[in-house]
Amino acid sequence: MIELVILLLIPLVVTFVAPFFNSRNATYLSFVSFMVPFFGILYYLMAGTSFEIPITKVSAPIGEFYLLADPIANAFGLTVCIVSAMVSIYSLPYMKHRFEEMEYEVESEFKKYIFLYNLYAVSMLWLVYCGNLILLYIFLELSLLASFALIYLYGYGNRQWVAVLYFVWTHIAGVLALIGFLIIAYENSTLALKNIAAISYTAWLLIFLGMLVKLPGLGPHIWLPWAHAEAPTPVSALLSPLTVGLAGFILLRIYLTDPWFIDMYRTPILIYALISSIYAGFSVFKQKDYKKLLAYSTVSQMGYCLIAICLGSYGAIALVIQYISHAFGKSILFMTAGAIIAVYHGLRDVEKMGGLHEYIPTISNAALLGFMTLGGILTIGMFGEFFILKGIVDIYEFNIWVIVAVVFVFILSGFYGFYTLKIIFYGTPKGFKTPKIDRMLDVPLYVIGLLSIAFIFPPLATGLLNALKVILGVLP
Amino acid sequence: MELSVLVALIVLSLGAALSFKDTRLVFATSLIALAIVFSTTWNVYTFFIIIIAALNIASLEVMKRSQIKGVDYALVALMGVATIYVFFVDDLATLLAMFVVVSVPTYLLVMVTDNKANVDVGIKYITFMVLATVLFIIGAILLVHSPHGGLMYVVGYTMLVLGLCIEIGVAPMHEWVPDVFTAADPIPISIIASLAKFVPFVVAYKILVSTTNPLTPFVTMILAVLAAISMFIGNIGALTSKETSRILAYSTVANMGYILATLTVIINFNWIYLALTGAMLQLIVNSMGKIGFFTAIKEGKGSTPLMYTLALSFIGLPPLMGFWSKLFILTSLVYVKYTWLAFVLVVNSAISVPYYIRIARNLSKGWMLSLANAIALIAVLIVLITVIPPDWFVEAMKNFSEMLFIKGV
Amino acid sequence: MIELIALLYLAPIFCSIPIAIAWGMEKKPEYARNLPMLSVFGLFISLLVSLYILFRVDVPTYTIEWLPEYNINFVFIFDYLSKYMGVLTAFIAFLIGVYGLEYMKDDYRLGWYWMFFNVFTASMLLVVYSDNLLMLLIGWEGLGIASWGLIGHWFRDDDPLSYVGIIDRKVWKLNMFWSPSFGGWRAISTIRFGDMPMFFAVAAIYALTGNLNISEIDWAALFHHIGPAGTLILILCFLMGPFTKSAQLPFSEWLMTAMTGPTTVSALLHSATMVAAGTYLFMRFSWYVEPWHVHSLGLEYIYILVLFSGLLSALYGAIVATGCLERKVLLAASTMSSLGLMFASSAASMWLGKIALYVAFWYLIVHAFAKATLFLVAGHLIHVTHDRFCVGDKEVAKKMKLAFIVTIFATISLSGIPPFTAYWVKSAMDEVMHHLTHEFGALPLTLLILTSIAYAAFLAKFLSLNFIKGEKAHLHLHGGNVMGLAYSIMVSMLAVLLILIVGEYEPHAGEFLKEGFVANSFMVGVAVLASYSFALYVPRIKQLSSVGTFLSDRMYLPFLNDFILPKVGWFIAKIIDYCNKAIDFFCHKAIPSAFEGWSIGIRAIQSGELNKYIKIVVGCVILVLAIISVLGW
Repeated sequence: MIELVILLLIPLVVTFVAPFFNSRNATYLSFVSFMVPFFGILYYLMAGTSFEIPITKVSAPIGEFYLLADPIANAFGLTVCIVSAMVSIYSLPYMKHRFEEMEYEVESEFKKYIFLYNLYAVSMLWLVYCGNLILLYIFLELSLLASFALIYLYGYGNRQWVAVLYFVWTHIAGVLALIGFLIIAYENSTLALKNIAAISYTAWLLIFLGMLVKLPGLGPHIWLPWAHAEAPTPVSALLSPLTVGLAGFILLRIYLTDPWFIDMYRTPILIYALISSIYAGFSVFKQKDYKKLLAYSTVSQMGYCLIAICLGSYGAIALVIQYISHAFGKSILFMTAGAIIAVYHGLRDVEKMGGLHEYIPTISNAALLGFMTLGGILTIGMFGEFFILKGIVDIYEFNIWVIVAVVFVFILSGFYGFYTLKIIFYGTPKGFKTPKIDRMLDVPLYVIGLLSIAFIFPPLATGLLNALKVILGVLP
Repeated sequence: MELSVLVALIVLSLGAALSFKDTRLVFATSLIALAIVFSTTWNVYTFFIIIIAALNIASLEVMKRSQIKGVDYALVALMGVATIYVFFVDDLATLLAMFVVVSVPTYLLVMVTDNKANVDVGIKYITFMVLATVLFIIGAILLVHSPHGGLMYVVGYTMLVLGLCIEIGVAPMHEWVPDVFTAADPIPISIIASLAKFVPFVVAYKILVSTTNPLTPFVTMILAVLAAISMFIGNIGALTSKETSRILAYSTVANMGYILATLTVIINFNWIYLALTGAMLQLIVNSMGKIGFFTAIKEGKGSTPLMYTLALSFIGLPPLMGFWSKLFILTSLVYVKYTWLAFVLVVNSAISVPYYIRIARNLSKGWMLSLANAIALIAVLIVLITVIPPDWFVEAMKNFSEMLFIKGV
Repeated sequence: MIELIALLYLAPIFCSIPIAIAWGMEKKPEYARNLPMLSVFGLFISLLVSLYILFRVDVPTYTIEWLPEYNINFVFIFDYLSKYMGVLTAFIAFLIGVYGLEYMKDDYRLGWYWMFFNVFTASMLLVVYSDNLLMLLIGWEGLGIASWGLIGHWFRDDDPLSYVGIIDRKVWKLNMFWSPSFGGWRAISTIRFGDMPMFFAVAAIYALTGNLNISEIDWAALFHHIGPAGTLILILCFLMGPFTKSAQLPFSEWLMTAMTGPTTVSALLHSATMVAAGTYLFMRFSWYVEPWHVHSLGLEYIYILVLFSGLLSALYGAIVATGCLERKVLLAASTMSSLGLMFASSAASMWLGKIALYVAFWYLIVHAFAKATLFLVAGHLIHVTHDRFCVGDKEVAKKMKLAFIVTIFATISLSGIPPFTAYWVKSAMDEVMHHLTHEFGALPLTLLILTSIAYAAFLAKFLSLNFIKGEKAHLHLHGGNVMGLAYSIMVSMLAVLLILIVGEYEPHAGEFLKEGFVANSFMVGVAVLASYSFALYVPRIKQLSSVGTFLSDRMYLPFLNDFILPKVGWFIAKIIDYCNKAIDFFCHKAIPSAFEGWSIGIRAIQSGELNKYIKIVVGCVILVLAIISVLGW
């Protein structure tokens, strides 16, 4: 049990150590520091263990600080680890290119970068294991800070404006949730998840609204395309796959603690989620910027999470799987966008692309894996969709409108996926030259992609879903 | 304890007297006086006060010249001693005396500059301070002498709060703040914006807590409205200000709004320790930030990581102290059912993000070794102290909340 | 057993990995062009395993744990349908693999081709052998993605030979020609449109019964539980998958543009196996639901729907094919027609019992071999003539005797001319439709006969226009031995089937024999022969060329797919884009500038005049005191 703490400490320590190495070694070190916990967590997940590790007792109303290592945390932690590890490898060639473009001194700038990168990833890793809401909020804000700094320093376009915009929106999200947490603290005189007995209306509402901004739902979603498109691509590849989905994680934690709010307002939330998912799905088609396109797809996919949470206990399982599958898929896709930017000097306009498969087949094939994962074709996303659909029947039986809407959402994400593939990678080649691609720019994509496929077969699927069965006992 | 304060005062006056001989001597005696007081009163609160006072004294070194070189050290030390002493005082007369003791040295300090005494600013500042002091003292006396509530209590309460507002610069009585902050020298302003802010609040707390009665929830509303106005005016005003010191002036207005908001908690004594924790931590955060920023303004440059850390602390990012202070303020507001005020605070903390980042960007000029940077570094270390969750501070404030009551009321 | 299963599925996939990797290398190694042999070897292993399963495996099912906690496992079923279908799939895949060795020899994208080809085979085998619906869906999705990958194989869109339709032809505002990359997108989008409702149905079945094994679920109880309306929704959703995959009306367009893929792909995926998977699934479903025992109004409506949509699709496909001039598109339309017949015949099981399923299944087998043969010949012809339209006079027949003979045999066998293979199966089908007279009058039988006549006509037309009466073609004869061998073996299977039926070696197929001797069936056979002969003699009628254009434009069905739906979609997307712009403006322009305005207003107080300040402050103080006094009074 205590080994988990060591596993989680490794990347934390490396965060502070890595800047002392040269760029290549620092990258390898960060990679290893996330891979080790990955395998550890994988073991815990497959074994289906669930335990708590006390850290310290703080006086009321904050309550006990402890790590909660249940299968849900393990599933999220696993995803954070593998994506962070792969993106860290990918960062090296990409950020070198970016620093050269910005005319920075590569080695010294990379030290700054790798510190912030690791801090960002590790704060998300710790977040999912937090057993106390205040601790959770702290890591949430820490990850916000690190990602803000990364956008602020290395982003594209009007990066400082975008960074501040990102900061303001997510800060509102965080602090709204914080007030919710404080109301919980007042009513339960603790913030330790295991001791919270009830969550009142105002608290639930505030947390829900905060997470809606963070997730984001329709309306507040407007910040996301800016932030995710203008961030340096390795950061986009963490922001979009990992960070926004953590809002879903927090909602799930709150839901499992006291489900009454969702149970009571299930239908309006579901309608909102469906509209926002379909809305964002249609938005994808009009995007000209590849990264912005992916960002809108994230909004649509996060709609899945919101749909899932309205669908009872199987929906909750679907949420976890949806997080994993979206993380896998979207990290691959953002990395393909980054690879195109890196080899074609900032090419992001999809209208100028076309037939790119001719020149960068490895990237193109990885993008295929990415969109397959998003669409749930032959990849872990399939289980997510399966449990969402099962949840519909559990909760709404044969309500034709819900069925049509959800099915349409799924169809739409397949549509924009293959449409995007077609306009970017297939069709008549447009006379680019064939670049030499650094293997670090494409191998990590395949690792994630293959893992995503491996997760529908035993033993990974068996282990994951057996472990997630704990959710079924808790909810109605 | 009284003895140690007495000794400290003697040491201080001796030092001040020696100032015409060697200013370094005053520097030493000032620190000694602080140390003497601290040695008999040490707890977390006094610890932070000592640090702030010491930083203020050290920051005076950044000024090349000063009209009252030497005496200024003693004045700051005197304020420090008073700020510590007010913590333990439990009679009205001494409290009000301490209020004046901390207020008056700033009249002098505000006019100090590198070359020529800035009398214009002095006049503006002193006018407001006198008004504030009068209102505050009248209000305090009315409060103490209206044991059964009634209109006397309501009027007294309002006058005291208004006096407090003018003294510390809460909108809409904040007009002096932007002018004085931009026109005066940054170093004295850093003192006015940091050390001088504690005593008015502590005194107000003590008097208001001691005189609560069934009318309190009603009059508290006026306070809450003032706090909300102040937050909005401060933060929005700062958004488009160009000069860094002007931004900081508006930031002070906003911060004073946050702290004023905690005074709403006197309607429920159970949570007063949370309010105190929030208020005191926010005062410390504000002090650290203002000291760090103003010394950097004085020098014209600050080091990048320090400036950004201070800015983020103001924004309220964990685990910096600025997060914990806002956390406890929010907690206390939520507990006394002032959720709307908590909500206003949240909105304001979001509005404040752009301009704090702008301050940091304006001041950041890379790494360098200088006194100003050393001061900023210490300030940063202080805001980083809460990497350990400030349970210890809450405990201290619990004890403090027991000592809030004034004798004979 | 588990080793066998592993071999069956993993052999083709693993054997194609080397070529995929070798082709992805920046400098292709020299041996890369030989690696397809390995892929075909993988297909061969699958074939051996499937044969072993046919002859030696007696257990009904075999289970491998997958999600045991959820009662979802990999369940392989070995029944009448799956045993034959498995061998059929593996055999045709292997033979077309061999053909592909020569056909795709000089291609620029072998890694992609063989990877997807073998993934397709494995997926198809998974669909064939699976009893569990979720496991079947894995294979099902595999089919979809492989189909997409192979249709869009020539992604460069630079080879006119790979298009469908006359390039640069426009009807009103619509381009009537389709590139491979477009064909791929259209295929996957249509299939996706059907797969998702089907996926829902599978999840719903799981939610309602807690079981996903087709053979174990108590279907009658399920239908009873959810009532007629529920049954209708559930099964209709379920059948959306088979309908789209088997290109029934109105989802047929994707199959026509799927002809942009290599001919091997058209032969394997878009005639013999993948598109047949939809009908196969419907047969399997009916096999275990046993609709003839279930009394459910909802189910009856569904079967009526399938019956008529199948017959209408069959007729539509056959008529369209008579107007087609492109070799592969003609065959694609005919495939659609055959699939319709399979659906219709299976649906008849509602009233006639299992016999209808046997008819449908045997028609599937016959059709698979015959149509694959025709496609392979078409591929060879395209290679030789460098033209995808039907061209070729007697010189072609002379120079390519083998292809000529094979085509004659395949067309005759498929069209249902007595006493060749399809005649017996078609006769049984005639009888099945005849029996439905009680329920629906003569309509089903009429539709079937019309379809059969049109069917024979376009097959003869295909033969005639390519070998006898077509325009003169310039031939590029070289190689072709492997291809010739492959389609010769393929067509010889039709003879084997004929022997199996006529010799009554296969008990169920043997039963068709007596139907062939019914007078009605024989008359239909004669009518078919007449139509065949006529079309052979007059392959094109000049006076009807405008009708022909109407037909070869698929009765303008492309307008639905390529015009109406995209217009609606883009319209919505445009509106939403404006919404996004508005929200963006509001949040990131309007609000910040409002704050700026307020900020400037707030700062405007700072005039620097002490008098004014004092007035403001004293005013405030008095105001507050006044308010509080009034309120406090």
